Amino acid sequence: MTYQEFKEAVIGAANARGIGEYDIYYTESSAATVEIFREEIKGYSTDKSAGVCFRCVISDRSGYAATEDLTAEQAASLVERAVENASSIESDAKAFLYPKGDCYASLATQQELPGGSQLTDSALALQRKLYQADSRVADGTQSYLMAKSEKYALYNSKGLDLEDQLSYSQCYAAAIVKDGGEMYDGDADQMGAYSDMDLDALAAEAVEDAVSTIGAQGVASGKYNVVFSEKAAAQLLMTFCSVFSAEEAQKGLSLLKDREGEKIAADCVTLVDDPRYPDSVFQRTFDGEGVAAYAKNVVENGTLLTLLHNLATAEKAGVKTTGNASKPSYSAVVGVAPFTFYLKPGEASEEELFARAGEGIYVTGLQGLHAGANAVTGDFSLAASGFLLEGGRKTAPVKGFTVADNFFTFLKKVECVGRELKLLHGRVGAPALLVQDVTVGGK
Amino acid sequence: MLSRKLLEEALARALSTGADYAEVYAEHTRSKYIELVSKKVDSIGDNVISGVGIRIFQGTRCVSGSASTLEPSAVLECASKVAEALSDCATVENLVLRERLFGDVHPIKIVPSDVANAEKIDYLKEACEAAYAYSGEISQATGTFQEVDHRIQIATSEGLLTQDRQIRSRIFISAVASGNGENQTGMIAPGARKGVELFEDFCPGELGRHAAAQAVTMLHAGYIEAGVMPVAIESGFGGVIFHEACGHSLEASSVALGQSQFAGKLGEQIANVKVTAIDDGTIPNGWGSINIDDEGTPAQKNVLIENGILKTYMVDKLNGRRLGMASTGSSRRQNYKYEPTSRMTNTYIAAGQDSDEEIIASMEYGLYAKEMGGGSVNPVTGEFNFAVREGYIVRNGKICEPVRGASLVGKGSEIIQKIDMVGKNVVRGQGMCGASSGSIPTDVGQPLIRVSSITVGGR
Repeated sequence: MTYQEFKEAVIGAANARGIGEYDIYYTESSAATVEIFREEIKGYSTDKSAGVCFRCVISDRSGYAATEDLTAEQAASLVERAVENASSIESDAKAFLYPKGDCYASLATQQELPGGSQLTDSALALQRKLYQADSRVADGTQSYLMAKSEKYALYNSKGLDLEDQLSYSQCYAAAIVKDGGEMYDGDADQMGAYSDMDLDALAAEAVEDAVSTIGAQGVASGKYNVVFSEKAAAQLLMTFCSVFSAEEAQKGLSLLKDREGEKIAADCVTLVDDPRYPDSVFQRTFDGEGVAAYAKNVVENGTLLTLLHNLATAEKAGVKTTGNASKPSYSAVVGVAPFTFYLKPGEASEEELFARAGEGIYVTGLQGLHAGANAVTGDFSLAASGFLLEGGRKTAPVKGFTVADNFFTFLKKVECVGRELKLLHGRVGAPALLVQDVTVGGK
Repeated sequence: MLSRKLLEEALARALSTGADYAEVYAEHTRSKYIELVSKKVDSIGDNVISGVGIRIFQGTRCVSGSASTLEPSAVLECASKVAEALSDCATVENLVLRERLFGDVHPIKIVPSDVANAEKIDYLKEACEAAYAYSGEISQATGTFQEVDHRIQIATSEGLLTQDRQIRSRIFISAVASGNGENQTGMIAPGARKGVELFEDFCPGELGRHAAAQAVTMLHAGYIEAGVMPVAIESGFGGVIFHEACGHSLEASSVALGQSQFAGKLGEQIANVKVTAIDDGTIPNGWGSINIDDEGTPAQKNVLIENGILKTYMVDKLNGRRLGMASTGSSRRQNYKYEPTSRMTNTYIAAGQDSDEEIIASMEYGLYAKEMGGGSVNPVTGEFNFAVREGYIVRNGKICEPVRGASLVGKGSEIIQKIDMVGKNVVRGQGMCGASSGSIPTDVGQPLIRVSSITVGGR
């Protein structure tokens, strides 16, 4: 069945079951990916997927069921399963459907995606550039290119009928260099319009990322001034962004519960959530409940202005939703998440940050974020790599150490904010940050 | 799922442009979870995924495609699209599929979808109640029951037609202890390739108390001072050290591309002689067990390292072509959308000769990692990290006060030389392992072990 036919079948089944309040959420994506190893195409893949989630609201409670199997049999089963699930819910959070009436932004016309052979040619070119960038680049080095289009649609029984479409390309280079019997790796990626991809810059960045770590040593344990690179700072922000969710707060899983209006970070910290951040490929006009998506400051000059809300958390808190109902996949129940979340850049150049740090460490990468960081406690203790800062300048590479702190004290300790912002996976961005007194575990 | 005739036609189409191997993987999976928050059912997720993944090989080149449908016309279209990426001419011999059933060593007593929500909810409530009852410092307890009924069908141009039905269940109980503006967490998450009879294996109250006790202990713990020291890592989920430090680097997916610290080292002493490590996909009802892998090869018990000597890698068909090695039944994928590759199943360090008492008594000052969190590794450099969820200082051979915020970092090839004491009682723990072919259930395991020195990150 097509989605339209399936949607009609679900609506028919819902009506037959006497269900008056429901929504139908649909996502569709198609992607082509090329992977290069040595100078050859290692893999080429084309993927198409689509899924539907049916949510009914019965006695103020939501029941969900989802499927990829768009058949008449599944349409009926979907409604039955959702009804059973709604009847099991006990949470006192009230479920709502959102009515028509918001004014929605419109998205720029989507870029045309490259064809299979264009994608392959570019990936092969990227791989050649990687090998050309340095004589130590070794086999194991890989290039990936992907072109993807996505569609999100939401229909509800209150008359909403919304759709967003987006398309983007992504290039990824993973470089391996061999030196003195050891292997070192580095990577770089770009996301955006295919015509904006700069393969030369990408190859140079990935190889430099690997080469710069040659000969990295450990560091001694102690307290250091640390400059977190754009990437490392964004990694931390991404790991802890759930602390800004009102849903987590209401469940007692965020220490920011009831702290709106309080100073929670240094003056130089402003955190913004923007559904249409210009450099992000994930441009959206509505959230997972159909509320018009808009940009907002979550933290402004260190003060927590708001947590992120969906309809249910906003009702519970007695505020208006911030339009942050999330559906990380078609099948997910509605949660809360930012769109593109970033720490607003300041004035400092990289050199100025290093100079202010004086003696310390420039952390360029963090590993093990899913394990070594806990958003409920704010604690993190993470494997890191980077460079020493000596006399206010970046010097020798270092690795095999840990940086540890608590995210909430970290936010207060930010001394200085860099002026360049890097987006991680198109979702979370940060400039480089100078933070004093970070615990480093090493030799 | 798909008819034999349709599979034969799809394989023929996939081979039509010169591929030397074709494979159709069809899947229909029902999954569900029920989550309890603040003693009330908070959310229920309920999903069906259904689709096909088709791969063809030409030498070591692989073309693949997937589509979220099992409609015959769409399956054939997917096969044609995959074939289009190659352009040679080929004469496809008349392909005949022969069905093979490799048996199922994982009996399921109660299929989860046959059990109403209420029974699962009652179990979670009992566990969460026990967590709250454990201490007034418990500010939140959450419980989740997760069930998956994963049906797969695999047909290949080698003539194989086979299928499997993998039912798994898992219980997550976590607790938050709060005081003085701080939170600390505790959790436990047992799972198995079983149905709802998993409940019979674990008393819900014990799960709740375990999570609560850990959270309360950590709330009153100080931070460990960072440094290099000996560490005793407890059995069970402690086995994540081998999984991260070594296991990923033994997957053909990194070895075959020269991206592993252990590439080219078969037959060499890579670990301490006390270390024997096994990946065994055949353990009855094991969380990471499979009857067949996702290429249709029966699961095996693979001894990876024997007394420190590297015996084999974990190999899938495609990377096996690069390595000149046969499949070890290790090819896995999260679902049809991912291309399968070599992955772990149930991986553990085998029992040794040292007693637990001797191991602790041998440490003058160090860390006893009672429970580990997850971790990650860079297989190229072997640099790994993982988190200690519940740790204690060892002083003069005695376990002393608890410490929070510890993480362990190191390099796999160095750490496995330093595993110098291995206890006698192997226990396994459950995890989800993420890599290029998606997130899959794996067991880790080991007896209590000692690592003679490792960098401990703390505050």
